[in-house]
Amino acid sequence: MTLEDTLHRTVRARCSEAAGRWFTEALETAAHGSDQQLLARYTAAARQVGTAQLDVTGAASGFDVAAFAHWTLADAVRTSLLLARATTADPGALQVLAIQCFEQGDTGEQISWLRGVAFLPQPERFLPLVIDACRTNIVPLFEAAACENAFPARYFPERPLNQLVMKALFNNVRLARIAGLGPRLNIELARMAADFADERRAAGRPVPPDIDLALSGARHEGTPV
Amino acid sequence: MKMIDPHVHMTSRTTDDYVAMAAAGIVALVEPAFWLGQPRTTVGSFVDYFNSLLGWERFRASQFGVRHFCTIGLNPKEANNPKLADDVLALLPRFLVKDGVVAIGEVGFDDQTEAEADVFRRQLDLAREFDLPVLVHTPHRDKKQGTIRSIELIQAAKFPEELVLIDHNNEETLPLVLNTGCWAGHSIYPNTKMDEQRMAALVKKYGTSRMIVNSAADWGISDPLKVPKTTDAMRSIGIPEEAIHQVVWDNPAAFFARSGRFDVADLNEPPAIDRSLKYESNSVLRGEQLQTR
Repeated sequence: MTLEDTLHRTVRARCSEAAGRWFTEALETAAHGSDQQLLARYTAAARQVGTAQLDVTGAASGFDVAAFAHWTLADAVRTSLLLARATTADPGALQVLAIQCFEQGDTGEQISWLRGVAFLPQPERFLPLVIDACRTNIVPLFEAAACENAFPARYFPERPLNQLVMKALFNNVRLARIAGLGPRLNIELARMAADFADERRAAGRPVPPDIDLALSGARHEGTPV
Repeated sequence: MKMIDPHVHMTSRTTDDYVAMAAAGIVALVEPAFWLGQPRTTVGSFVDYFNSLLGWERFRASQFGVRHFCTIGLNPKEANNPKLADDVLALLPRFLVKDGVVAIGEVGFDDQTEAEADVFRRQLDLAREFDLPVLVHTPHRDKKQGTIRSIELIQAAKFPEELVLIDHNNEETLPLVLNTGCWAGHSIYPNTKMDEQRMAALVKKYGTSRMIVNSAADWGISDPLKVPKTTDAMRSIGIPEEAIHQVVWDNPAAFFARSGRFDVADLNEPPAIDRSLKYESNSVLRGEQLQTR
């Protein structure tokens, strides 16, 4: 079963019949309608299907359930709309439209977008946008980019990935939530984490306990990514 | 005691804050241009923001007896948007010549990218061209390295260190800054950065030369009374009044006076409060009666 099938099925199982009909129409519009029509449905998704937890536990074996741990129905619908567009639009047009979804999005839309970006075709082209999104001061938005999301470990160069890890430490976001971090740990990150621990001790403040993971980077250097 | 808050983002604060600051002895403040909590996407947002710092906010401060100065610049976070950065840098010369602009800032590092370094260098060039001091933000993450890189960049550019205020220092970065000719700012925050007791201890340990404190109050959890609260903390551990005065008055005044647009003598007379005045037909009054004069 494809990702699309799993998302469609789980959304329909959780939402009302009317919302299900809206979703069917929205998918059709996303594939064949105008940009403005898709953007309107991308925004309306939360109102139409709600923001209840998406439950993918019934998905086929081999499906990465952990990646969807915090997804809502609206996140699944928004990702499905962009994937539907990808079946008909050329890559350049899809890229422009996807960027509009993010740049014109409110916090909820941007969270949906960040959760789904790793599943879009050629996700690496969105790298600058995802790095920029991590500059946010809105912690739930940062978590959408940083946590249970394959994108950063897969595509971020070392420096922005290290910044992401340090920002997680600052915001009390557990490092265990950064998917695929283990093989990307590095000596520079260990140095940054050690400086941070010194700074906290000099200030008489507690050092976050899971800093050990970042400090352990020195041992991982040289591990192929 | 008269005080200056040399770094506070008043556009994010209320009129109650102005009342409390004035009552606590703050007669002048400097509001650095900074990041508004989410990214701006067009240069027009900066035009309006800079104009609001020079216009409405200065007027609003005057209505509470506080003199308002500002710094103008492109902050490091938004330096990472290349198109926007070029547009904003091209705009800066229009604003750097305005009265009340007492430095370029906040410039510096956030994620410590090459784009940030480039925008930092270009703003040092502008500071030289417009004969202005520079206010340097140091990053939250990887702060020590960010401070070292900032100092190296300033020294490589041969920018006069006595015209640089490196801000948001802590126990780890202060010795690095004092080892240069730069001024050392400290942002006193409720939970992060620096607190008033630690600050008092640093003044006791390192003395008052080139030491500056500010509240850096903004839209986050912060307190615009941290400068007066730090004077209390310094007093409580026996730091003499003249030393406290140097930290909260003489030092910031001397630094910003280098702009030629921060007249210390002028600060001795508080601005006359006239709430019948209007700014582009807006008043800070919301239906209150003016006091009879």
